[in-house]
Amino acid sequence: MSAPGRAPGAEAPARRRGGASARATSARLAPYGFLAPTAALFALFFALPIGYALYLSVRKVQIVGLGLGPDGREEVWAGLANYRRALTDSELLAGALRVLGYGAIVVPVMLGLALFFALLLDDERVRGRRFGRLTIFLPYAVPGVIAALLWGFLYLPSVSPLTDALEAVGLPAPDLLDGAPLFGALANIAIWGGTGFNMIVIYTALRAIPAEVHEAARLDGCTPLQTALRIKIPMVLPSLVLTFFFSIIATLQVFNEPTTLRPLTNSLSTTWSPLMKVYEDAFTGGDIHAAAATAVVIALVTLVLSFGFLRLATARDRREENAR
Amino acid sequence: MRHRATATCVATLLTATALGGCGAADDGAVRLTYWAWAPGMEEVVELWNEANPDVQVTVKKQASGDELVTKTVTAAQAGTAPDLVQAEYQALPTLASNNVTADISAEVAGVEDAFTPAVWQQVTLGTDAVYALPQDSGPLLFFYRADLFEEFGLSVPETWDEFAETARALREIDPDRRLTTFSANDAGLFAGLAQQAGAQWWTTETDRWRVAIDDEAGRRVSAFWEELVAEELVDNQPMYTPAWNQALNEGRQIAWISGVWAPGTLATAAPDTEGTWEAAPLPQWEPGANVTGSWGGSTTAVTTDSEHRAEAAEFAVWLNTDPEALTALVQTCGIYPAATAAQTGEALAAPPPFLANQPEFYETVAEVAEGAAPAAWGPNVTVAYSAFNNAFGAAAGRRAGFEEALAEMQQTTFDDMDRLGFEVVQ
Amino acid sequence: MSTASPLNTVDAASPANARPASEGGGARRPRRFAPLPTAALLLGALYCLLPVAWVAIAATKAGDELFSTFTFAPGSGLWENVSDLHGYRDGIYWRWMVNSALYAGLGALLSCAVSALGGYALALYRFPGRETIFNVLLAGVLMPPVILAVPQYLLLAEVDLTDSRLAVLLPVLLSPYGIYLARIYAAAAVPADVVEAARMDGSGEWRIFRSIALPMMLPGLVTVFLFQFVAIWNNFLLPYIMLSDDEKFPLTLGLFTLLNQGSTTPALYTLVITGALLAVLPLIALFLLVQRFWSLDLLSGAVKS
Repeated sequence: MSAPGRAPGAEAPARRRGGASARATSARLAPYGFLAPTAALFALFFALPIGYALYLSVRKVQIVGLGLGPDGREEVWAGLANYRRALTDSELLAGALRVLGYGAIVVPVMLGLALFFALLLDDERVRGRRFGRLTIFLPYAVPGVIAALLWGFLYLPSVSPLTDALEAVGLPAPDLLDGAPLFGALANIAIWGGTGFNMIVIYTALRAIPAEVHEAARLDGCTPLQTALRIKIPMVLPSLVLTFFFSIIATLQVFNEPTTLRPLTNSLSTTWSPLMKVYEDAFTGGDIHAAAATAVVIALVTLVLSFGFLRLATARDRREENAR
Repeated sequence: MRHRATATCVATLLTATALGGCGAADDGAVRLTYWAWAPGMEEVVELWNEANPDVQVTVKKQASGDELVTKTVTAAQAGTAPDLVQAEYQALPTLASNNVTADISAEVAGVEDAFTPAVWQQVTLGTDAVYALPQDSGPLLFFYRADLFEEFGLSVPETWDEFAETARALREIDPDRRLTTFSANDAGLFAGLAQQAGAQWWTTETDRWRVAIDDEAGRRVSAFWEELVAEELVDNQPMYTPAWNQALNEGRQIAWISGVWAPGTLATAAPDTEGTWEAAPLPQWEPGANVTGSWGGSTTAVTTDSEHRAEAAEFAVWLNTDPEALTALVQTCGIYPAATAAQTGEALAAPPPFLANQPEFYETVAEVAEGAAPAAWGPNVTVAYSAFNNAFGAAAGRRAGFEEALAEMQQTTFDDMDRLGFEVVQ
Repeated sequence: MSTASPLNTVDAASPANARPASEGGGARRPRRFAPLPTAALLLGALYCLLPVAWVAIAATKAGDELFSTFTFAPGSGLWENVSDLHGYRDGIYWRWMVNSALYAGLGALLSCAVSALGGYALALYRFPGRETIFNVLLAGVLMPPVILAVPQYLLLAEVDLTDSRLAVLLPVLLSPYGIYLARIYAAAAVPADVVEAARMDGSGEWRIFRSIALPMMLPGLVTVFLFQFVAIWNNFLLPYIMLSDDEKFPLTLGLFTLLNQGSTTPALYTLVITGALLAVLPLIALFLLVQRFWSLDLLSGAVKS
């Protein structure tokens, strides 16, 4: 990146005569300039495809007769038929409820662990921080297919070392791929894979807390625990909000874990989560129109939940600020 | 300075990659692209390229699976599909329905005789068109642990009744072993078993489809397996899991109904059991009959996008009927050819290494393949297969309710076609 | 302040200085050792490491040992597996790895630059439409990527870019997550008064960004880079749809083709597991390389002068 140590504003005297108004104009326009690449990429690779998906969602395929050959099918206007179907689909609703139950486990546990480990990493009294940082982050680097292969292996009763371990201490080994434990088994994969990622986000924020804050806390006689609770956590609140926001979205769009565990058990259907339903419609069923409508419904529900949370967090934030 | 260097570097890379796609030399030869997943296909195609400098084929290796059909359909929609694609039999109606595969009946006239009518019917979909050429097929056989069958005094079942008795006898001899498993995660096997019983899941009647998944044949097969599962005479856990591998490897499951390609899978799943398996014809519903179903197999299709349909069709004919090509397909790609002449050919003289103990393996297979029942596929096989996974998954887990599962599979499949506007009856 | 963002607490109280070294430092005061927290951290590390260790061990097993020998017993086939992988289709595995490195490296670098610019603008300027732009960006992640792949393919086909490396690269350059993170980090690390002072001195906006803000944002950008790198490295669906030529495949897609060679060919599990292990190694190397940037003391000189 750019050379550190160069004094900011070294060329300043030459420009100073440019006048305050020119500077104000450039300061006013600058943010738009900085955001130009973002805007261009967003328009091309988000807005346009999303618009296209919306278009697809109000269209449908109309088959003529047998539907074979060049004149077998045409794309026609469908109005809201695809949406009606998505909203009245009991399997989609059941999937949404399953995912909410799953999210209720994943989000708090994963973020709790992430915050906890991030605080430990930021505590000088803890040994092995470098090692901990790497190993806890490591699962994030393991691709989904492999993660599923390995957890699937660790879950199957007849081959799992876990079963051996439990039986050795005389405990019955539960069938992790059936009934209620299934939720835990799925959540575990997400928690295993996601904790390190969120930990790093929070840790990066912790590293940005200025030294004098710590110094002040120490002089005030705060114990490390008090420092963590009263100073560090409030100061990394924006990062916590960020991780929460994206975790909610990731949870509602859960796909990898159930998809990859599905072949191992009779208890996971191909439409276990709403996004699996979208994938099935789009990539195995070949009905992109139904898939697009379902995806829009998921996006709207996610919008309400995630932005609702963001609004809530912001409101609390503002109240605290006003109180100060 | 470093900024500029990075920027230049990035720009060069981007330009290079953008232009990278269009560097083919223009020597007047017709160039065809071929999406295929069979391992070693490029070596087989090389034989063609050497003999046909005017028509050069490039293999672009793909991953097989349902997603490939969507990818091909999307590419065709955008006008970027390859000239040729490898497609599974059950994907053909979907591809034909999306106008991806071209009707090559004019280009391949006379090729029909190289295949059995049951196989040929799968590429015509019962119409006058030809949507692809058959490449390999997967007739079902009964694979069993010959050593354990002998040890336990079991005889190879010739009918399904005997199959059930064998399963019962085995459990009485050793409660920890099962004959096999009923797996709800692969509809292909169930479809094959239903074909053997006479099922025709999708058929065309002049201008409409008929869906008959929940018919007499289907109910017969599902009731048979429900009884076995309910009485715990066979396992109810899915195939292709580490647990299944271990059960096969340790002899806790001692038989597997599978396609002719099973030895390759067994070699990976149950390596310790090499040389102990044998293949026999599938148990029959009618004593003394010779009927089997199919599981797996694929075709070579020419796309409507291709600007060189004649050349592409010519290549497809060569690949699937020429003796040299078929020998290479058998030896390099390890397939069981659909062309009847090749099934008794030199390349299949020796059994697969894993079944070296059964020298007459391919003779058995050839006899069985003669009795392969015609399969009938429709334009929404993937929907039906998903419905199978979900409905039979739940039923197998409960060890009950197979009849309802079959009805659900039928209804889901019919509703889907009906909704899309197909002329369809059930 | 009428902003609808959770960031204003940080906006208001931007630190003037980065914390000096804590790791390896602390000479003034004897460091105490906390056994319980250390144990907790190690426990977490163990939980994360065990399954990875299984991959590492599984990669040493020959084909016939994979599912038959005890889980954590090392096998005898590591060398054989690696050379099999090397031999598969004339060593195409290494090409996949180079492709992955190209997509992930270049993609993450450019994405990081875009995020830095956007995050900086959103954090340090007050301008009409700021929160709207920010919220629209965030809303972009709400649409499941699964459903965007097909439209993206059709749109890129319009400009003849499918089956090209650009098709895999361009759609990943914008990361709303990266922009959000860069915004939070810029708000926390770049003091508004320093920017204002530079402006008073007559520095141009671009110059302020490049010479003052960028170095301060570096640790955060390193995090963005790391995340984007891993995300692109492990990306599957986009390259799957876009690419048909396996010379251009990234690792994920290459390994997927190894797993799915048709029903007649058993999945090459040993190759896939060895391939996956080798694929994780560059990510570990990157992590080790990158993590030193999280120690802010490296940069404090730039900030102070």
